[in-house]
Amino acid sequence: MEKFPEAGTVLYPGDTAAVFEIFIKTTPERLWQAITDRDLRAKYSFGVGTESDWSEGSSYTSSVPGVIDIAEGENLEVDPPRRLVQTFTALWSDEVKDEGTSRVTWEIEPVGDESCRLTVVHDQLKPSANGQIYGGWPMILSGLKTLLETGEQLTTPGSLRYSGAASASD
Amino acid sequence: MDEEDVVFRALAAPTRRKLLDELRRRDGQSLSQLEAKLPMSRFGVMKHLGVLEEANLVVTRRRGREKLHFLNPVPIRLIHDRWVSKYAEPLAATLSGMKRDLEEEDEHGEVSRGRDRAVSR
Repeated sequence: MEKFPEAGTVLYPGDTAAVFEIFIKTTPERLWQAITDRDLRAKYSFGVGTESDWSEGSSYTSSVPGVIDIAEGENLEVDPPRRLVQTFTALWSDEVKDEGTSRVTWEIEPVGDESCRLTVVHDQLKPSANGQIYGGWPMILSGLKTLLETGEQLTTPGSLRYSGAASASD
Repeated sequence: MDEEDVVFRALAAPTRRKLLDELRRRDGQSLSQLEAKLPMSRFGVMKHLGVLEEANLVVTRRRGREKLHFLNPVPIRLIHDRWVSKYAEPLAATLSGMKRDLEEEDEHGEVSRGRDRAVSR
């Protein structure tokens, strides 16, 4: 694999961060759409959709309506199809609610061969942050790659946890 | 070499796995910090980090003048999903639930309720 120069987000002193990076054969526009379209997003995010009008300063919510709230926050920077910066407050359990508000930065960079490098920087975490807060990203990014490159959904255990939950009774 | 070849090659060296362990223990370390943890020259650590970066298992970010190294577990997740999502899903979930329960049993002397969760999924 070719090595590319590092991109993007500069961390602040004392910042606790986790960084996730993936190469996906797609265009920046399709990638941006997969991140911001409610139904596409649900296909690789445990079945959880994310809703927003995606204007700068707007809010977003990630949930399965009537079943579970996963996260909410503000869209701090919206620069399609390259960069999205959001605050992130996890809501799925009392434990994660105690972690307060952190920040998620999505960076999309076209690289040779009709591919994109997608980097998710989850920072402004507490120094000993609960790993659950950022632990879902590898599965989400893997599912996103599968969706965009093959049109299929991952079926790894847990990856479709809330799919169809709104209609099922269990 | 394709992407997976590069990942397997990067993982096929104890020193590089040790570097990943070190980043797993504490993510976001500088070259100097990592160098202090390994009985190896600065050049040697740089070389191994280069192989890990090429495999995308380590990514770097700047903080002030420092270049920090982060463990990127995504390539390993891709390898995992390639096989685990195709085969033996319920079995894999049950086995990893059992493994966790048995390990917790060792630590606490009793089986936790984790097993019930794994089975009911």
